[in-house]
Amino acid sequence: MRRSALLLALAAAVIALIPVVAPNLFYVHLAIVTCLNVMFVLGLAVIARVGQLSMGHAGFGLLGGYVSALLAMNLGLPVPLGLLAATLAAAATAALLGWIILRLRGVYFVLVAFSFGQIVVLLALGMEDITQGANGLVNVPAPAVFGYLLNTKTAFYPLAVAAAALVGTGVWLLFRSPFGDAMAAIAENPRLTESSGVDTHVYQVVAFSIGSGIAGFAGALSTHYFQFISPDSFTFWDSVSYLTMLVVGGRVGVWGPILGAVVLTPLPELLRSTQGLQHVLYGAVLILVLLFLRDGLVGLPARLRGLRRTSAPHPILEHSPERPS
Amino acid sequence: MGLGTVVAQTIVNGLMVGMIYVLMAIGFTLVFGIMRIVNFAHGEFYMIGAFVFAIVFDSLGVPVAVSILAAVIVVGLSGVVVERAIFRPFTGDELNGMIASLGLALILQNGALLVLGPSPRSVPAIVDGTVSMAGLVFSLSRMTVIGVGAVAILALYLLVVHTQFGRAMRAVAQDPEIALVQGIRPERVYPIAFALGVALAALAGALMAPVLSVSPFIGLTPTLKAFIVVVIGGLGSIPGAVLGGLLLGLIESAAGTFLSAVVADIAQFVIVIAVVLLRPWGLLGKKEREA
Amino acid sequence: MKRHCLAAAIAVLASGGARSETLLLGVNATLSGGGAIWGEGMLGAARAMADRVNEGGGVKIGDKTYTIDLKVYDDRYRPQDAVTAMDRLINDDGVKVVVGPMGSASTVATQARSTEAKVITLTMGFTPKAIGSALPYAFRPTITTTEFTGPQLAWVGAKLSPKRVRALLPNDETGQSVGASQKEAYKAIGVDLQLDFFDRERVDFVPVLTRILSQSDVLEIGGNSPTTAGLIIKQARELGYKGPILVTGGDVTAELVKVSGKQAAEGTYVHLPLDSGYAETAGYIRDFEAKYRKPVNGHNAFSFAGLQMLLEAMKRAGSVSDTTRIAAELEKVSAFPTIVGKAGWTGRERYGIDHQIDVPFYIGQIRDGVAVKVATCSYKSCE
Repeated sequence: MRRSALLLALAAAVIALIPVVAPNLFYVHLAIVTCLNVMFVLGLAVIARVGQLSMGHAGFGLLGGYVSALLAMNLGLPVPLGLLAATLAAAATAALLGWIILRLRGVYFVLVAFSFGQIVVLLALGMEDITQGANGLVNVPAPAVFGYLLNTKTAFYPLAVAAAALVGTGVWLLFRSPFGDAMAAIAENPRLTESSGVDTHVYQVVAFSIGSGIAGFAGALSTHYFQFISPDSFTFWDSVSYLTMLVVGGRVGVWGPILGAVVLTPLPELLRSTQGLQHVLYGAVLILVLLFLRDGLVGLPARLRGLRRTSAPHPILEHSPERPS
Repeated sequence: MGLGTVVAQTIVNGLMVGMIYVLMAIGFTLVFGIMRIVNFAHGEFYMIGAFVFAIVFDSLGVPVAVSILAAVIVVGLSGVVVERAIFRPFTGDELNGMIASLGLALILQNGALLVLGPSPRSVPAIVDGTVSMAGLVFSLSRMTVIGVGAVAILALYLLVVHTQFGRAMRAVAQDPEIALVQGIRPERVYPIAFALGVALAALAGALMAPVLSVSPFIGLTPTLKAFIVVVIGGLGSIPGAVLGGLLLGLIESAAGTFLSAVVADIAQFVIVIAVVLLRPWGLLGKKEREA
Repeated sequence: MKRHCLAAAIAVLASGGARSETLLLGVNATLSGGGAIWGEGMLGAARAMADRVNEGGGVKIGDKTYTIDLKVYDDRYRPQDAVTAMDRLINDDGVKVVVGPMGSASTVATQARSTEAKVITLTMGFTPKAIGSALPYAFRPTITTTEFTGPQLAWVGAKLSPKRVRALLPNDETGQSVGASQKEAYKAIGVDLQLDFFDRERVDFVPVLTRILSQSDVLEIGGNSPTTAGLIIKQARELGYKGPILVTGGDVTAELVKVSGKQAAEGTYVHLPLDSGYAETAGYIRDFEAKYRKPVNGHNAFSFAGLQMLLEAMKRAGSVSDTTRIAAELEKVSAFPTIVGKAGWTGRERYGIDHQIDVPFYIGQIRDGVAVKVATCSYKSCE
């Protein structure tokens, strides 16, 4: 416990120092994008906690982004209220969708969530009167906090960090709560959990709602940072990269997702000049981690110490799918 | 053009597109049914099939039938390798198998971009021209797609229902352990089933190459269609894939003709949700899935 | 005294001869994903210019000689990535001039940053918002539909006198803005134009063609990639459509014919941004394709022309970093010989600023797989 407190303090110090020690503003920009990705991946981790994977995650980001941007631009709603509305809109949509599709086996959820991500893009393109179609929304207002307009990178950075920390803490508390225990139990063995009197369906729907709500929030925050959103802003390939971050970082707890986003957001910059090579490596890393490091990067120290599975096995990692028997 | 022609065109086109969806969906549902892997890279095999066909047929000047066969064989063999190297450890593990397939999709699509470049390739038509019947005009190349697709589906049906290997596949799909007890070794079935699945995708790609065009980015849409078809038809059901694919093709074609292309795209999602709500096991799937 | 002279001579030699300065040129374009074919063209232009300058011993600007160094970043066809790439070019690399952004969304998403940093951009974004009086550093060295639609339609209208025209457009930024400008232009010549949009990824057009071909005298295909246009033509001809086809947008002929086949493309009218009969253009295309083994598309040729004008402006300004002066000089460049013809800037009426390239463009007709020039246009009219 002391050690993790120390690590946390160290991390906080690094985070606080980034704007000071960064050679230039580009690094602050990367740090902000990292914070945004941390939130997206944490959202995905909440859904993964009940044994599901949402390939429509970016779709909820797009939904949230448009909701908040349109409220701010058309109704002059303050950005914080817009963020709240975006979160609720994404969560409510997920609740409705989840209520329908989470009754079915996991694979149906994957297929329909994927289709949902695609239809959000199509709707954003098609509802030109509201969304400006493919043009996207330009000059989305930057958020203001206590009267300060956070329209520069250095000003926005603390907000991004605070938001990521808030989401991180929330997810951490959720995972530690009895509710979180039940979620993990569902992923491990839904039928057993069901028979012990837990309504697994409700838990899964709630988890999907929370995770997608976080995606809506992150999408909205991202939109106010970039001050721009278009149907291309969040697509299927973004869902793939959130998933990659989750898997590479590790699906256990909150540190895996955070680590995944922190490592994989800046990494592709090394290869930004190449034609497609970055994506090939991304894919290769994904498969290699799955094959040889299923606990992800957070599991690496334990691996290296040779202590296999110091903690209880994580449900998803151990989850063997039900088969019709 | 008169209304009759318009309707006839709509049907022919719907059948052709539907046939491609059927080929995609059967391969997808086969791999899922037997290995429990949701293969997001399925469309990338379609893309590779199209490229192999384009190179062999157009650049090397090999006859059509041989070129199609080449695409099917090359992709089928690569399927054996991919199954062994990547998917074998995830057999039966829906979640991780699916994630691995996403990694594979990234590698294949961008690998093709690196090797072949972004420029789309055009492939000359296998057969040229149109045929007029009863005052209606049909494109021969589209009729060819329908014909070849139908033959392939028939052959697959015979394979699955009437051969030793087909019985083995069905046994493994039902329960690998019981199959093992019956003396069927699932690890022998997996690579062939996977190869068969992606070879069907390659066939679809090769058939579509001359009708459309070939680039590294053509894989995602067919994957999406395969998903939709199997949800509509029932996951794991081959007759369901046939019915669902043709239905989706016809609906899309009709909506595209009489409404608009965007409406057609949105309509299919509505159908998916409706099927999931009303008949979640799909049109021809087995209702009972928990037992 | 003698030693002093020697020292001075050595200093001069050192600065003038051996040590050449570096001019950093940023490229922000799509290198992976759907738009990669255009991004590759822009990258090709930047590379060709860098090689040309460096192999010739550098370019003299002010009293220094510069060689060109490229910083190339992929926007992955996503506006946020274009922003990240722009941010990196500006803040991390200290780039002052950028070839790109490429797409309209990327252009719009990045312009606050590039304007604030006073970075000159040579954008290929077709949106009317890509340049404007509030964007003093954004230049567009390519001809967009907004420019060519009016004059071309007037010419076509006079020649074919259609009553009903149906246009097929992709449901994206380009398609939507093309549609809007065409609606206006057709109204001006008294033609009923109906627009049909389709999803950008779509490759099967038979349903929509089946519906609209019976209702049109002229089929128009606008704002599409050459492949898509080629597919539409091929499928329309397969459906037995015999009427005239008009393709607007981009330099499309080579790719289009590859996809549609010579026979289907025969007689199609195309917007011809490049005149391959023009010696300079033909020479550039020939040299480029020989050296880099890649085809030249419109984005390539126009980016190259933009760079030619930009270097000229830098020479006149005597600086590679004072972008305010360079932009002022660039605006004044006119009738300057580029590989796409004598070029200057226009656009004040439409955009409030003269940052839209002013070069002649053409209407071509495809004959036996090659676009033959049938009219030469200015922004006023075609003849």
